[in-house]
Amino acid sequence: MSEYTLEDKLRILSDAAKYDAACTSSGVDRKGASGSLGSCQASGICHTFASDGRCISLLKILLSNECVFDCRYCANRRSNDIERASFTPDEVCTLTMEFYRRNYIEGLFLSSGVRQSPDKTTELMYEAIYKLRVVHKFRGYIHVKAIPGASQELVERMGFLADRMSINLELPTADSLKTLAPHKSRDSITKPMRLIQSGIAMNRLALNKNPAMDRAYGNDMFKNSIFKDSGMRFIDTDKKLPSARYEREDFVPAGQSTQMIIGATQETDYQIMKVSQALYTGFDLKRVFYSAYVPVNDDSVLPVIGTPPPLLREHRLYQADWLLRYYGFTTDELLSEDRPNFNILLDPKCDWALRHLEYFPVEINRADYETLLKVPGIGVKSARRIIKARRCGMLNFDDIKHMGVVLKRAVYFITCLGKTMIPLRIEENYITNCLTSNDRRDIHKLSDYNSYRQMSLFDDYSFNAPYTAEDTCKALSGQL
Amino acid sequence: MCCIYDAWASKAGHENVRLMIDGEFEYELFTEYIMSETVHEKFYKVIRAIQQKISMEAYTVVYRAAMSFEKERLDIIYRFLIDGFKYGGRALYDYRLESVRQINRIAKKAGNESHLFLGFIRFEEMKNRVLFAQIEPKCNVLTLVAPHFEERMPDENWIIYDKKRRLAAIHPAGRQYYISMLTDAEVEQIRDMYENDTYEFLWRVFFNTIGIDERKNPACQRNMLPMWYRDCMTEFAEDKKSCVV
Repeated sequence: MSEYTLEDKLRILSDAAKYDAACTSSGVDRKGASGSLGSCQASGICHTFASDGRCISLLKILLSNECVFDCRYCANRRSNDIERASFTPDEVCTLTMEFYRRNYIEGLFLSSGVRQSPDKTTELMYEAIYKLRVVHKFRGYIHVKAIPGASQELVERMGFLADRMSINLELPTADSLKTLAPHKSRDSITKPMRLIQSGIAMNRLALNKNPAMDRAYGNDMFKNSIFKDSGMRFIDTDKKLPSARYEREDFVPAGQSTQMIIGATQETDYQIMKVSQALYTGFDLKRVFYSAYVPVNDDSVLPVIGTPPPLLREHRLYQADWLLRYYGFTTDELLSEDRPNFNILLDPKCDWALRHLEYFPVEINRADYETLLKVPGIGVKSARRIIKARRCGMLNFDDIKHMGVVLKRAVYFITCLGKTMIPLRIEENYITNCLTSNDRRDIHKLSDYNSYRQMSLFDDYSFNAPYTAEDTCKALSGQL
Repeated sequence: MCCIYDAWASKAGHENVRLMIDGEFEYELFTEYIMSETVHEKFYKVIRAIQQKISMEAYTVVYRAAMSFEKERLDIIYRFLIDGFKYGGRALYDYRLESVRQINRIAKKAGNESHLFLGFIRFEEMKNRVLFAQIEPKCNVLTLVAPHFEERMPDENWIIYDKKRRLAAIHPAGRQYYISMLTDAEVEQIRDMYENDTYEFLWRVFFNTIGIDERKNPACQRNMLPMWYRDCMTEFAEDKKSCVV
């Protein structure tokens, strides 16, 4: 095994890591410093885009693809006969530093298969990021995975070095997890998640911040927001390391994230979104990623190899996820037991608006920010522009068009100075027809040709709005 | 900035003045052309007036707009300043004004392009460990991107060279960066310093494995990373030995 060259290892271990969705470098601002290399920008920076259109911002690799676990959905499971390789911690450091100097990457995303035992694996990962931070004085972004079953102390130690940590939930329900990942349990995933959450909260309190993560644009103030009262949450003090350390050093400042595999099991969109919402409110996660399952193993309980990944479904889930995090929606507003899946033809916001025509039309010159955000075709940026611009005077349709409002959709739901732009019937079937005839071609492209357009919530790559790199990051199936 | 000062001071009436950049327009009949010279005092007066009478944010927008490739940029800035001095800080958000729409449009373009370049710039290591990057930006992004790299890599010697404008941001380790014109001879000299770099090769290996075949989507890739950026990017330069050579 040791005859692998660095090139071979890089090929094997990035190939093994590619199904992990998260490649974001956002959420933390850290200035560079003399004597060290690197800095972080809260908006995140995309460095290139791979052939599948996903952003590459971090060096995404596994430390090792040797694994004692046998998860049925994973390409690296024990029972697969594949090339196995491992980096040494020093190799990881050199690659990261040299790539970073040439501006290929924002930092490192380190994950690993379980080599020998969770603790042994975590120790090696810890060694790699410790050397990177302390010996090489690296100040760029580090995202590191926690391994289910690793000791609490090791997880805590890693948190003081990493910007973001994540543990993949993998499957939305405990039952599916039991069937597909016999070596993992709900408990072994939620325990470290809880540990990281309370570490973040303690660290934030020590810094005189709200113990809950910051959310976009005052989203926690909206009346229905899932983040309302998020500051009141319980802090668990079951720590192995002395709490004084949390007052001195940053602990996972960019928050934690997780990932769920979509389409390998039978859960509905409603179940999945319910889980996401619970993760955001209960565990204060920064992001939940969804990853359309690409069949890699021949297994009776999984879709057969060659089944196209459910990209449109993944897209709808991301759209809904944004509605929770940025627009003050809750899962129960979007879906219900009776309507457990998203509409293929309409995005979740349009779909919601059409079922709630009683709220419309909205008057652009009077409606509050929260109400503006609920209008299809108006996003966070255009809503804020409207609020600022109308202090100077009344706005008409031409004005808001220049602010980035998508009139193609918004026109059915708004008035300016009491008038609609074109004669309208505010009636569900009529508007549905108008909206879907616009979009049908796009949808067709998405679902049938296996091609995929990246969602773009904001009309530009802004300089001060956070999390834009995340907008462009997309998902796929998971491993550790 | 100085021509803005001159135009204002000339009292010719705003509607009778149009500002243009030398060398980027065609001369018209029946028009009087006045050249403005750079005078530092005028320059600072205009900047101070923008910052104090409109807002700091407005100055950022004006700066970005000035870096845009738009031929009309100078006049767009001038029109905006007329409204800005009239209405004060809130003018920047008043999309009912044509000047505001225009300046935000071109400033956004320059800002977006420079943000993308923060990620898309590729350094190549030269024989003496100097990092050299070449770009061909549409907007004049050098001063918008250089501060980012100065902060990020304070102890490295690096150069970002704008091939189109023949301008370079030069950063000697441990010091501040400066902007300088490069002559052909100097560029040639830098090219001679290039040597084969294994990390460039390794980066291509990584780039080519990380994409998922089942999700292949060149249209999306092109959308996020338009073709014209790729000429100087290591991962797309497989046929060429290096974009410098």
